[in-house]
Amino acid sequence: MALNDPQWGKRGGNNEGPPDLDQLWRKFTQKVNALLGRRGPPNRPNGGPPDIKQLGGGFGLLLILIAVIWLASGFYTIDASQRGVVLRFGQYAETTQPGLRWHLPYPIETVEKVNVSSVRTAEIGYRNNVKSKVPKEALMLTDDENIVDIQFAVQYIVTDAQEFLFNNRNPEDTVLQAAETAIREIVGKSRMDFVLYEGRTEIAAGARKLMQDILDRYKTGITISAVTMQNAQPPEQVQAAFDDAVKAGQDRERLKNEGQAYANDVIPRARGAASRLLEEAAGYEQRVVANSEGEASRFKQILVEYLAAPVVMRERLYLETMQQILANSSKVLIDQKGGGNLLYLPLDKLMQTAAAPVAGGDAANKPSSTTETLPLPADNSMRSREAFRTRDREQRQ
Amino acid sequence: MKSLSTVVVIAVIALIVASMTLFTVDARQYAIVFQLGEIIDIKKEPGLYAKIPLVQNVLYFDSRILTVESEDPERFLTSEKKNVLVDAFIKWRVVDPKQYYISVGGEEARARTRLQQAINDGLRAEFGKRTVHEVVSGQREEIMEILRKRADADARKIGVQVVDVRLKRVDLPAEVSESVYRRMEAERKRVANELRSTGGAEAEKIRADADRQREVIIAEAYRAAQQTKGKGDAKAADIYAGAFEQNPEFYSFYRSLEAYRQSFKGNNDVLVLEPNSEFFKYLKNSGKPPPAPAVK
Repeated sequence: MALNDPQWGKRGGNNEGPPDLDQLWRKFTQKVNALLGRRGPPNRPNGGPPDIKQLGGGFGLLLILIAVIWLASGFYTIDASQRGVVLRFGQYAETTQPGLRWHLPYPIETVEKVNVSSVRTAEIGYRNNVKSKVPKEALMLTDDENIVDIQFAVQYIVTDAQEFLFNNRNPEDTVLQAAETAIREIVGKSRMDFVLYEGRTEIAAGARKLMQDILDRYKTGITISAVTMQNAQPPEQVQAAFDDAVKAGQDRERLKNEGQAYANDVIPRARGAASRLLEEAAGYEQRVVANSEGEASRFKQILVEYLAAPVVMRERLYLETMQQILANSSKVLIDQKGGGNLLYLPLDKLMQTAAAPVAGGDAANKPSSTTETLPLPADNSMRSREAFRTRDREQRQ
Repeated sequence: MKSLSTVVVIAVIALIVASMTLFTVDARQYAIVFQLGEIIDIKKEPGLYAKIPLVQNVLYFDSRILTVESEDPERFLTSEKKNVLVDAFIKWRVVDPKQYYISVGGEEARARTRLQQAINDGLRAEFGKRTVHEVVSGQREEIMEILRKRADADARKIGVQVVDVRLKRVDLPAEVSESVYRRMEAERKRVANELRSTGGAEAEKIRADADRQREVIIAEAYRAAQQTKGKGDAKAADIYAGAFEQNPEFYSFYRSLEAYRQSFKGNNDVLVLEPNSEFFKYLKNSGKPPPAPAVK
């Protein structure tokens, strides 16, 4: 299988395929030569298969076998999420990408694999679940000397595998430490209401920045990707009081709304009543004026007639009026001289007897006769009282 | 075959010699090379080095940043004589392996103890000067920086650099926390009461305002209504006057008749009459033409 084979060559250029053994071998001899060239006379076999063959026999084969096993121990794979850090005699040599790799076998080179792309999480104030709190971590003092109960989740990734490996003994613990100190510092500078309510995102952002500063100072090779406040509560001991305060806020709104509801009921009603008053007044005005105009006009017309024949007119009007009055009233006619004598009549009885037969007519006798025509047919005056009354009632109805 | 075994023997011997001669220093380490107990070399750079077998030996130290974290928070008094529980951590690293070896024998535990003492001392001094509030919020960074400098100065004597000192927790002891909770509760109660009473007050205000508006609206309407009515009355009076003053005497008569009619309209009215009134002038006399009226 040659390198210029089209199929093979296509893939050989990339890092994807299995590495070409010839190439690896050449790389190996190059490296060994370079090392030996520096370190001493090359009186040892310098690795080429032809040299080994010269030794011959089974022992040679054994040596070859040992050498092959030794060389094969240099293969390693790097997962897609990892980077390999190759150390040559303890010194950093290179960082390798994912795939099947080969390094000079132990003790010359070693490889350390670091997971770089997966997001790691540090939990502050709780473990696994926000409900399982760690009060020692979660409770912290605020600027106004209140205590709040906070849970944070910190997500971070390793961005520099080399720094991550070499600069700190326990980089992951360092993240926790940095997180705790940063959050407490930020919270310590904020007021409780700010932490609990409006400032949540700001607190998280501030903590993130401070954490990153701290981690950069220690050259941990870690980048914080997110700091999220999982929960921020007043401590359990005072939770009830806080809930009550929230309820009080609701109560306040409720009371205000009730007041508003009352206002919304009363004012439109008052407006209604006001417009009723106004309308009534306008009605009254028009009625009064119309009445006056009507009455005036009636008077004027009668006046014209009156002027034409004053005596007759007066007489007629007087009689008609009296007739009407007397027709509608109970009356007692006393033809007796010397009216100074005591006159005793059972007036109340009289009235009762008079009222009884006419009770039905009472309703009909309602006022409204102000504008009633005064003139009556002349012959009516001769009728009996009863007949007249009946007729009159009909007319009024 | 003979040459082959020679080669093998030589190779084995070479390997043994090499393993005794050569040593590597990792990127995470420093090494001190001793010759019969005397420090003759310090390797701070990683790589492959050689030494004389049997005569020289090598000691390794961690070159990374290490942490000292207090196990349990300690109590410190602030300037207002309040106790606070403080939990701090120190980030440190060996910078001078020779000094480090001489001072603490290269033992991390001893170095930790030393650092912790320095920090405790510093914390006591700095907290004694400040109030709880200053420690918690105002001067936290300042304190940390002072502590770092102080601890660093001391740590240099043992070949150690203090990279950072950070206060982690500054908490109140449990008894004090309890009273803080009580205070917080009282504060919330105050807030709650305030909210409720202001709510009540505002509601009352809204109601009162509504009532006032109602009164005003109705009163204004009443005023306008009365004005309108008055206008109507005046106009009517004017009209009446205009008509009636044409003949006041007849008006008086006409109006009186009208008034009588209105006054006596119920059946309950009882009129006691004498027949010798004007109205009854024909009641007794059949009304023979002209003669003098018999009416008294």
